[in-house]
Amino acid sequence: MKKALSVFFNGVINENPTFRMVLGMCPTLALTTAAINGIGMGLATTFVLIGSNLVISLLKNFIPQKIRIPAFVVVIATFVTVVSMIMQAFLPELNESLGIYIPLIVVNCIILARAESFASKNSALLSVVDGLGMGVGFTLALLLLGSIREILGAGTWFGMPVFPESFSPAVIMILPPGGFITLGLVLGLLNKLTGRTE
Amino acid sequence: MSEGVKLSIKLFIITAVAALALGITYAVTEEPIRIQNELASLETRKAVLPGAEEFVQIDLSEYKGQYPNVVEAYQGKSGSDTVGYVFKVISKGYGGDVELFVGINSKEDRIENVSIVSHNETPGLGAKAAGSDFLSQYSGKPAGSPLAVVRGSATKDTEVQAITGATISSKAVTEGVNSALELYGRLLKDGGAEG
Repeated sequence: MKKALSVFFNGVINENPTFRMVLGMCPTLALTTAAINGIGMGLATTFVLIGSNLVISLLKNFIPQKIRIPAFVVVIATFVTVVSMIMQAFLPELNESLGIYIPLIVVNCIILARAESFASKNSALLSVVDGLGMGVGFTLALLLLGSIREILGAGTWFGMPVFPESFSPAVIMILPPGGFITLGLVLGLLNKLTGRTE
Repeated sequence: MSEGVKLSIKLFIITAVAALALGITYAVTEEPIRIQNELASLETRKAVLPGAEEFVQIDLSEYKGQYPNVVEAYQGKSGSDTVGYVFKVISKGYGGDVELFVGINSKEDRIENVSIVSHNETPGLGAKAAGSDFLSQYSGKPAGSPLAVVRGSATKDTEVQAITGATISSKAVTEGVNSALELYGRLLKDGGAEG
């Protein structure tokens, strides 16, 4: 139990995929134009991470060390595709809100990174906890970036206005440059706060 | 058996199982996905032309080439009455294709509603074209003449106010609506008897 908790918080804080490992930057920069996108992408990724970690962990004794990367890629791509087809067919509401994020998860290296560095070496239960922790960490990070960009760039938070009418939002914040600016500043600030500077 | 052969066989088993799983899922979900897409399209058609109870797809092969932007057309019926038309149009926006549905009330000869189903416009700028603030401008516009985009407030019945900073997106939607209006005029002329 204690082990599971430490694995979970490792994903949320110590090895936060976005702010500590700086993984999965493509969806991070592209999607964080609004807070709600962060939640959507985060939840979809969490779900896939848990599933792929579980499958990889169960298969770890069957997959030979030398061909593990192609094997992981096949397993993850299959899992994502199956999930996407099932959502389209049977869960139209969920597909409506999360469906557009699912194909993007294939390009997210967090999934492969966790398969390689955690799930292939640990028990199924711990791998699921690791997927959950990493997913929550990723979701919180995207939510933070999305909130900053939406508030400054559109003057709203989750679609609700947060500034008086007279406020003129800085549109650059929700354009691609704003993604890099926000990520850079937040990373720098976090490093400063946690004394991680060299 | 050499190691290479062993590894190949293992990788082959993994990919074969994956392919099998994908094949089974595809076979099981193919029909439900088609039904879901059909339902979603029907929902949109109902939203842009609420008066219609059923939609009869119009064969566009006769008009092929003349209205390249219009990809689908439906005659909206309530009982045996034709209440209007719905057009699915693809227009070129700032970030790529903008896909929209245009509902025209043929009884009043006015645009009923316009709905955007997919687009790649800039978030916060062109993406506002998909919001109801912009799209509600089209509701009630006369269907007989093409619409124009203006900066600042619209003064005429045939004018639509552009979104600040997103003139290209505003024009893309308006051009899409205009293609639907053109085909609508043509359909009325050609099929006067049934319309």
